Amino acid sequence: MATKWPENRRVIGTNVPRLDGPEKSTGKAKYSYDINRPGMVYGVIVRCPHAHAKIKSIDTSAAEKMPGFRALHLIAREGTELYYAGEDVLAVAADTEEHALDVARAVKVEYEVLPFQVKESDALENDRKTLAPLGPRRERDNLRPPQTQESDEFADGMKNAEVTVTGTYGMPVISHQCLEAHGLVAEWGADGGLTVWASTQAVVGTADALARHFNTVHKMDMAGKVKCITHYMGGGFGSKFGPDVQGIACAELALKAKAPVKLMLDRASEITTAGNRPSAYGKVTIGGKKDGTITAFEADTWGTPGTGAARTVGPLPYVYLFQHKVKHTVIRLNLGNQRAMRAPGHPQSCFFTDCALDDFAAKIGMDPMQVRLRNIPPDDVNAKNTDPLSYPAMRGTLYKKQIEIAAQLSGWANKWHPPGKGGDGPIKHGIGMALHTWGGFAAGPNDVTVTISSDGTVLVQTSTQDLGTAQRTVNAIVVAEILGLEPKDITVQIGENPFGRSGGSGGSTTCPSQAPASLLAAVKARDEMFAVIAKKLNAKVEDLSITKGKVVDKASGNEYEWKKACALLGTSRPRGVGTWSGAEAAKQANAGLSKGGVGGVQVAEVLVDTETGVVRCKQIVAVQDCGLIINKLACESQVAGGVIMGLNYALFEELIADRATGRIVNPDMEFYKLGGINDMPKIIVHMIDMPERGVIGIGEPPTISTHAAIGNAIFNALGVRVPETPFTPDRVLAALAKGAK
Amino acid sequence: MDHSSKRGDRPGVSRRDFLRGTGAAATAVASLVKVPGVEAQEAKSGADVVAIGPGPVKLSLEVNGTTMTTNVEPRVTLLDALRNYLDVTGCKKVCDRGTCGACTVMVDGKPIYSCTMLALEAEGKKIRTAESLIDGGKLDPVPAAFVACDAQQCGFCTPGFVVAMRAVLDANPKATPAEVEKGLAGNICRCGTYEQMRHAIEDLCKAGGK
Ligand code: FES
Ligand code: FES
Repeated sequence: MATKWPENRRVIGTNVPRLDGPEKSTGKAKYSYDINRPGMVYGVIVRCPHAHAKIKSIDTSAAEKMPGFRALHLIAREGTELYYAGEDVLAVAADTEEHALDVARAVKVEYEVLPFQVKESDALENDRKTLAPLGPRRERDNLRPPQTQESDEFADGMKNAEVTVTGTYGMPVISHQCLEAHGLVAEWGADGGLTVWASTQAVVGTADALARHFNTVHKMDMAGKVKCITHYMGGGFGSKFGPDVQGIACAELALKAKAPVKLMLDRASEITTAGNRPSAYGKVTIGGKKDGTITAFEADTWGTPGTGAARTVGPLPYVYLFQHKVKHTVIRLNLGNQRAMRAPGHPQSCFFTDCALDDFAAKIGMDPMQVRLRNIPPDDVNAKNTDPLSYPAMRGTLYKKQIEIAAQLSGWANKWHPPGKGGDGPIKHGIGMALHTWGGFAAGPNDVTVTISSDGTVLVQTSTQDLGTAQRTVNAIVVAEILGLEPKDITVQIGENPFGRSGGSGGSTTCPSQAPASLLAAVKARDEMFAVIAKKLNAKVEDLSITKGKVVDKASGNEYEWKKACALLGTSRPRGVGTWSGAEAAKQANAGLSKGGVGGVQVAEVLVDTETGVVRCKQIVAVQDCGLIINKLACESQVAGGVIMGLNYALFEELIADRATGRIVNPDMEFYKLGGINDMPKIIVHMIDMPERGVIGIGEPPTISTHAAIGNAIFNALGVRVPETPFTPDRVLAALAKGAK
Repeated sequence: MDHSSKRGDRPGVSRRDFLRGTGAAATAVASLVKVPGVEAQEAKSGADVVAIGPGPVKLSLEVNGTTMTTNVEPRVTLLDALRNYLDVTGCKKVCDRGTCGACTVMVDGKPIYSCTMLALEAEGKKIRTAESLIDGGKLDPVPAAFVACDAQQCGFCTPGFVVAMRAVLDANPKATPAEVEKGLAGNICRCGTYEQMRHAIEDLCKAGGK
């Protein structure tokens, strides 16, 4: 019989403070940045200051004579073309961090400076073809051919519209701004093995990629000889999936210097070179009836992934299933390449759809919540039969319920007013709503091993990483549930690739992959334990079970304290390995262990000062489902954290490129703004527990709709749309001035 | 600065070499070395000049009640001295220019950004880092509240917040939640733990910071 989640759950779904909380909050936890190895030296990367250039010459002779110089690794060569300011040229290592910086400054690189483009609007006007050749025709075009898509009845939908509204909306490039920079410590062992302590979202992937590099470039045999350790990591948000340039460079420097090397990016490099969220701009037209029924949705969008070529928006229309015609143009610019950022594409799609929907509601004079209720996608009848736990089967019912809860918690009925009627004084009140969806399914295979010892200790080992989600505690909660223990009784070791397979922590896949694997491993270890001790207890295996702290023999009615029961194990150490993956989750027999496909609704309330343009967010309500909740405390803090990140998108964040120099002008933390505690609204999190669906990931969804909800709240306050994030005072005042004309 | 008088007998290079050898950070150090009658820009001769660096000089710091010594160049910040030379890594390096608060430590009871203070400036002062807030298994009430309310995710900002909050409550055990929040205005968290931090602040203020 397939293993299921226990029906009566003692630990799962309760509030469990994270097990490593004391170490982390008191600075005892060692992050990659904190690793200091004996004889360690420091690495620094020399970067190109130009947005587009060809290297004429590299002269390292003076640098190599500098005090403390230890090693040099060329990343680019003479003749190499570089495509953004900050691109890696070479790496150096020296005995101290100070000396490493001196050495880097002494490197002389001559460039032939080439034309560049760093603004979307410039490229749209005049494509200067300043990027790397791409595709079979080796085009240097900055503008990629547009991608278009049209649903069958779009033309009819537009024809049937009684009212159409067109608006423009936009979101700039923003930075992941992980507080722990990208980087690592690399150390070669006497046995030819390489150990790295890397700040990564993919422990196994990072080890594999490093092995591949040395196998290919140095013809070494590194199979099984690279160890990646990530016991703690200070934020990734989608930007840390491999060793990256600095990882390879650091390991190369360590090989040459014959010493461990630490190479962590400085803040400016972190922001300009270690990934960003691509921009998205667009024109959206919504057509519909005066009763609020939307009949057609048209969007022409564009954005820049920097030097890359990936799309910059997600599915459009978002959440809703309108008849649609959508076009997207990728604009390559001489800026750092985009990387996945917390629900890639979704915040952008949500903003286009949900803001346009409110503008439509305003035009027909309806409460936008009513327009949403009228247009949310209905439950899919087929899915109800074939996969009743799936998102399509329940989406209509789910969103209706979530909108109702959000409306009630936010006091929508009393607080909503027609746009622009936010009060008589200079400070206007507004309230706005937005919807989102996400997957959060299990992904590639994850292995978890549970070992029980005769002294009663339980050890859980898995290679996965903790990005801040309290992952250790997830494993401990599940194993404690099965073995009748408390989470603090379980020792959890994570973040080392020899512990087995695991995927990168992206797509909110970690919890739904790890929790079922932990369940399976714990059940196997428990059953093996029963097999060993049954003989010694003169009991039948099938009569043994576990309740809180005890093993129970149903036949005799005897109870054995956990430690006493474990003492019977003698030298045997029951061990269970559990493996879970998307493929396992998809099997019919396994239904209910993990799932994906969630909905969420957020309501934001703002006060806008029409004299200064300052927006204060007063309250945000976040209603979210995520299947079976493992740790209520950490789940709620994850959702609140997502909301706060979304608020930062809305009010503060923008990476600004300078048209004249092609450089980022705010690669720091004073002019690249993030909110502090005094900027924060009250956040009300309401989780909808649906244990029958199994475990679903929660990292990404709660950050998606916040900025659209805030944008709609500002629209509600002012009666004019502030079209682009961040909603800074200048943008608010400009929108007011334009609206007054 | 009071420690300059203690360095009279240190072997050193002349001020001119010193200024030539290093950049802006060195200028900041130079201004620390108070020599009567000598202007910062112009040294008449080497004889009457007391200067340190640019090479490493002895550094002795009192960290969490323990005296720690090492050798650092005068341009090394307190943050780098603690992290790179003394392996005290609870203070984190994030912006390295006085914006984010991740490097917050207490110097004589006051919270400061350790990335904006030179290590030599901290000699003779009592430095307290987050590591002092756990003793064996016993947690100080501030980090204990962070743990209980889950006011940390990745945790990279957390020691800085914890030190800043401890300093506010040490200075005023009767601080109101609004006053504590004000004391945290110089710290930034990317994961967004502020809502849970407010829960922790509420609990702590109710208990009088204990
Ligand atoms: S590292 Fe010192 S304030 Fe940011
Ligand atoms: S907990 Fe990650 S930055 Fe604050």
